[in-house]
Amino acid sequence: MSALPIKNENGYFEIRMEAIGGMGANLAGKMLAEAAVIHMDLNGTTFSSYGSEKTGTPLKAFVRLGPGDEEIAIGGPVVNPHILVIFHTILRDILPVTSGLIKDGIVIVNSTMTPAEAKEFFDLPGGHIYVLDCDKIVIEEKVKINTVMMGAITKVSNFIEPDAVRKAITKGLGKFGDKIVQANIKAFERAMNEMQYEHFDWPEGMDEIPIAKVTQKIGYMNAPLGGAILNPGNTIDRDVSGSRAGWIPVWHEDKFTHCGICETACPDLCFTFEKGVDKNGKEGMMNRGIDYQYCKGCLKCVSVCPVDALTKEKEADFDVDKIRRAKTF
Amino acid sequence: MNLFPGKVKNMALTKTKGKCEQTVYLESGNEMAALALKHVNPHIMGYYPITPSTQVAETLDAFKAAGEHDVQMIPGDGEHGAAGICYGATVGAARVANTTSANGLLYSLEQLPVQSGTRYPMVLNLVNRSVSGPLSIKCDHSDLMFTLNTGWLILIAEGPQEVYDFNIIAFKLGELEDVRLPVIVSFDGFFTSHQKRRVYYFSNVDDVRSWIGDVKTPIHALDPEHPATIGPYMNEPDLINNKKQMSMAFDNAYHRVPEVFKEFAEMSGRKYDFLKTYPEDFSDVEAAVWVMGSPSETMIFAAKKAREEGKKVGVVIPKVLRPWPVNEIRETFKNIKSLVVTDRQDSFNFMGGNMTTEIKSAIFENENRPLVQSRVYGIGGKDLSLDECKEIVELALSTTQKKTVDVPYDYIGAEPGDLEYKIEPAVEPLKEEDLKPGIIKVEQKEDGTLDVKGVNLRKLTEMPNRIMPGHGACPGCGIFSTLNQFLKGIEGHVVVLFATGCAMVVSTGYPQSAHRSTYIHNLFQNGAATLSGVVEAYHEKMRRGELDPNLDLTFVMVAGDGSNDIGQGPTIGAAIRNHNMIVLEYDNEGYMNTGNQLSFAVPKGFSSSTSHVGPAQVGKQFGHKDNAQIFSACNIPYVFTATEANPIDLIKKAAKAQWYAKNDGFVFGKLLSTCTLNWRVPFNEAKELMQKAVDCNFFPLYEVEHGITTINYDPEARKKKISVKDWVGSMGRSRHLVKPENEAILNELTNEVDRRWHCLKAKAENPLL
Repeated sequence: MSALPIKNENGYFEIRMEAIGGMGANLAGKMLAEAAVIHMDLNGTTFSSYGSEKTGTPLKAFVRLGPGDEEIAIGGPVVNPHILVIFHTILRDILPVTSGLIKDGIVIVNSTMTPAEAKEFFDLPGGHIYVLDCDKIVIEEKVKINTVMMGAITKVSNFIEPDAVRKAITKGLGKFGDKIVQANIKAFERAMNEMQYEHFDWPEGMDEIPIAKVTQKIGYMNAPLGGAILNPGNTIDRDVSGSRAGWIPVWHEDKFTHCGICETACPDLCFTFEKGVDKNGKEGMMNRGIDYQYCKGCLKCVSVCPVDALTKEKEADFDVDKIRRAKTF
Repeated sequence: MNLFPGKVKNMALTKTKGKCEQTVYLESGNEMAALALKHVNPHIMGYYPITPSTQVAETLDAFKAAGEHDVQMIPGDGEHGAAGICYGATVGAARVANTTSANGLLYSLEQLPVQSGTRYPMVLNLVNRSVSGPLSIKCDHSDLMFTLNTGWLILIAEGPQEVYDFNIIAFKLGELEDVRLPVIVSFDGFFTSHQKRRVYYFSNVDDVRSWIGDVKTPIHALDPEHPATIGPYMNEPDLINNKKQMSMAFDNAYHRVPEVFKEFAEMSGRKYDFLKTYPEDFSDVEAAVWVMGSPSETMIFAAKKAREEGKKVGVVIPKVLRPWPVNEIRETFKNIKSLVVTDRQDSFNFMGGNMTTEIKSAIFENENRPLVQSRVYGIGGKDLSLDECKEIVELALSTTQKKTVDVPYDYIGAEPGDLEYKIEPAVEPLKEEDLKPGIIKVEQKEDGTLDVKGVNLRKLTEMPNRIMPGHGACPGCGIFSTLNQFLKGIEGHVVVLFATGCAMVVSTGYPQSAHRSTYIHNLFQNGAATLSGVVEAYHEKMRRGELDPNLDLTFVMVAGDGSNDIGQGPTIGAAIRNHNMIVLEYDNEGYMNTGNQLSFAVPKGFSSSTSHVGPAQVGKQFGHKDNAQIFSACNIPYVFTATEANPIDLIKKAAKAQWYAKNDGFVFGKLLSTCTLNWRVPFNEAKELMQKAVDCNFFPLYEVEHGITTINYDPEARKKKISVKDWVGSMGRSRHLVKPENEAILNELTNEVDRRWHCLKAKAENPLL
């Protein structure tokens, strides 16, 4: 097992979870901290990056643990985590998720990659890399990813007591009934046993992963007055595909009647219609496909299609970039 | 293996420093406020949800559903209404609590001096959040500072423990016979309201209740044998005396605070004072920092590090802001050479925020006055990091030897921006000719109603989108499908105004905006009034020849059912004035942006985060609002209902709406809209659910053109009629109503739906109705 520097210079052990709204990272933080504070006599705090996060937008959850006989003095986000937990690989392209990982720190990734592949994927300098196919456990045990990741965190921490976490899960999910609690406990146990692990030497002379400094391009010297946005429509630069939960709509050109009903149902404006000529030589608006950059996988289009030209498919079975029809504006 | 050597013995069960037994817990500030209220068990809580304070009411409602307290929780129609409910309840001799933040506080602000000036104590949890132009939901103290002159006592809680303690203390203090003033318990939004920390609460609620005692209201409205005129009309020469009485009550409160704190310390073991200082003995301190709220512990941590190096620095944290502890401040700062006051708000060019000016005035009469520097920090939720705290400590220390300060007033954490950076257009502005493809034709019939032809979904894919992809709505969100459909029916340029809500938050997160056409936001309750102003500016500027006569604009307001609760009055006002504009209500039946609190549109018995289901309560306690009929009664040119499940019907109505808005005046459209997250339904089921709502007659599709009602789709005539039960049973939020024990509630809902449907049919059959 990993050898960790057990406290940072301020005296705390810190965990940062990089997740997506709806995955339950906030609750995972709560249950972990509760395990530590109520059942292990430690002190602890937990919170999330706050705001109007909707299902599908990036979210960070923090757990900070300290000695039981001291107050926790630091209230801000976890900048230099001992354990960094990445709930979805897509986050790499959205945020500097590995920012500030401590020297030779622990990373847990939800993926089917090997630890070596994960190291390369996230451009990690080294450290204790654990990979777990959480989605598999999620589907098989019918749970959210949060308790799966709690199992992984508990195991790799080497000090969080599994029994304390079990108690916290039992209390935290108790309102959903015993069946759901048991499924989550099972997912928690499985996670502890199903991780792949590899250690990679941390480069000599390198301290933590440098903290990603986000410098605001727009500040008080150049911001348009009153906070107005003068290049509206710029959300087209965003990639929201991380909101998908494993499923995508796939369109079948041979079945298309170009009726336009899918386009009225899509909340994310993913369909491209262009003027064209159909197979009978008739002019009209033609459906050219789906821009998966904007597709959150809600599958409303599949539900409303009157001719089964759209089907619900497993995202993993497709090379989405290949079947994507990029929108132009 | 245990991480921390020298751990203390099992703290988990009780902490016995005080004489009352206590239990350890891990909770956030909001939840501890709710727990304190559960323990105090006031008669009434009047409230209105607003981030970040909402969880207080949510948590208290969950306790209520579980049968754990008797607090009657009354959701206001807005914060102004909520404050009114609270005032009325205190006048009715009840013990009362409220909770709010930011804009909610300001909306109810005029009620605060009424509450204090007529001397009815109550407790308001103020969860600090910025009040601003571009809307922020994050923490700063710009809301709190508006309350300084309202005649309320103000306690500042640093963390969840103090939130709990101060809520209990506030009832005791405010209700003292020689005080009788309302009390604000103020704490930082998110940092304190949402961060879970270790806390202790009284294991036996009787310890709390017996200490506070029964509420005593010497003058109240429920005693006809002793009638009183409460709140007379009063000018000179009398009002000044009322204020003088309040000033005397503040003096009394100043003397009573230490007594109440002492009693509380005996019970709990937790000692409080007007000011908390680090170190406790301040006699050697030469450089001090004033900080308030959630960063206090971090600042102490920074100072502790400096003191370990022998530096004579200290930190001062106020626990009581009103009564202002002027003597304690003078005493604490009497030997200080340098003081940095941190302000989480600004008085703009006043050389500091309110704390700086108040402290400067407090120490004015000190013989030796420190050099004072003001630093504005943490606006809009910006974290004050440990490094920044260390810099502030260093700033205070580096000034002790100086005669003057270099930068008396500055911002920490503001960034100039990259001056090389040029804002490039993301997309070309839409062209009018593209927006007028002429696919839909609207003609007025002889009877004055309109006929719409040419709604062809395939052809209408040609209409450019006014909303761009990449917005942050949840998967399967009904709002954007519905809006996209509606805008297909609107030709030419539009100016949209979104009132606060999901659609606004997910589409305009700075510096990104999903709106390709012009977009305006104004606050929750005031969208319709604001858009009336825009419309009238357009007409008047046109009349004066200041605009291109060919400039053709259609004005559309988009707001949720929440905005249509709190904004009911302003929207009715705009309707009665009959401005040329369209108001769309996307009704997803709940305040979804803030986490599914009940709206007035939510049907009776449905669950929400402020109408939980439990042994002591089954969901919402009152029936659903019928906003289409309310606007129909405003006698405006056009009212309609529609859903995304019937796109042709919806787009036809959009085309009519545009015609009426251009030619006749005000249009109101109610669009039932799925919230998959909070209705607890699969992402893809919008169409099916909308159709069920229509087919059970809960949400009939109809329109009212100049008073003439037309039902566009009659489920009975089409033999599609289903029971309300079928619809209710298909959503997680309402499935409980199908259980046999809730039959009476379901029957009541069904009967009400049927009654409204028959009324509507009668109207459709008779043009005079």
